[in-house]
Amino acid sequence: MEEVQRQKYSDKEKQDIFNGEFMPHIRSMYNFGFRLTLDRDDAKDLVQDTYLKAYRFIESFQKGTNAKAWLFRILKNSFINDYRKKSKEPSKVDYQEVEAYYNSEEVDRQITPDLRVESLKDMIGDEISNALNSLDVDFRTVIILSDLEEFKYEEMAKILDIPIGTVRSRLHRARNLLKEKLSEYAKSMGYNKSNV
Amino acid sequence: MSKPTNPFLKPDGTKCSCMEMLQQMVDSEVTTDQREYFKQHLDHCMPCYKTYDLEMTIKELLKSKCCGGDVPSDLIQELQTQINQKIS
Repeated sequence: MEEVQRQKYSDKEKQDIFNGEFMPHIRSMYNFGFRLTLDRDDAKDLVQDTYLKAYRFIESFQKGTNAKAWLFRILKNSFINDYRKKSKEPSKVDYQEVEAYYNSEEVDRQITPDLRVESLKDMIGDEISNALNSLDVDFRTVIILSDLEEFKYEEMAKILDIPIGTVRSRLHRARNLLKEKLSEYAKSMGYNKSNV
Repeated sequence: MSKPTNPFLKPDGTKCSCMEMLQQMVDSEVTTDQREYFKQHLDHCMPCYKTYDLEMTIKELLKSKCCGGDVPSDLIQELQTQINQKIS
């Protein structure tokens, strides 16, 4: 993210920014924290840490700019630095391989998993949530940012510190992995090629 | 009547593939003109229609099923207390 000139705020202004621009996003922040850690207590700690950091560095925030993206970026960094290290999750996807694949001509010939709208409509919610949670955290993150929080490529690139092209290809890959997962659920529910 | 300009043309003048248009639509990275053009394209491209319908259904399900979970009330209270302490 580009260097932002430090602001000078009075205590009253800091409190106004905190309550008026940061706190309205707490629900989205908590959901993001939960979807990253998959644990409600960890999510609570992560969100608390994030808001305290946001307050501590409030002079790096320019009033009236995109507070939500700024907060999401702090939360993502806190997660990587403080939580991901603790877990033994093998986190790194081989992005070179992913990038190479998406720059190849295979993309347009890709076979869509056998998944139909009708089978999705019967899913009660847990399947969707479980499918999302089962994705590798980097893929899960782009789906959350795009589909749940409606961030644009450019905002996602800043939050994640990656180029826009990588956002696009990672999102594309994430959507396909999610469909594969949902397709497995659909099959287990009895949907298959013969009854659609 | 001249054919309307394709708003998905790349800077080098080449057309976007169906997959590229679909991805931009699903990711909500389109202009109003591109959206309109794609909606018309769906009328005569069944593979795009099916894929778009599926992708948008998944998006809607994600939005309705994965945004839940109330924020713990003590989290908000604890934050307010800690911030007030820093200010006073």
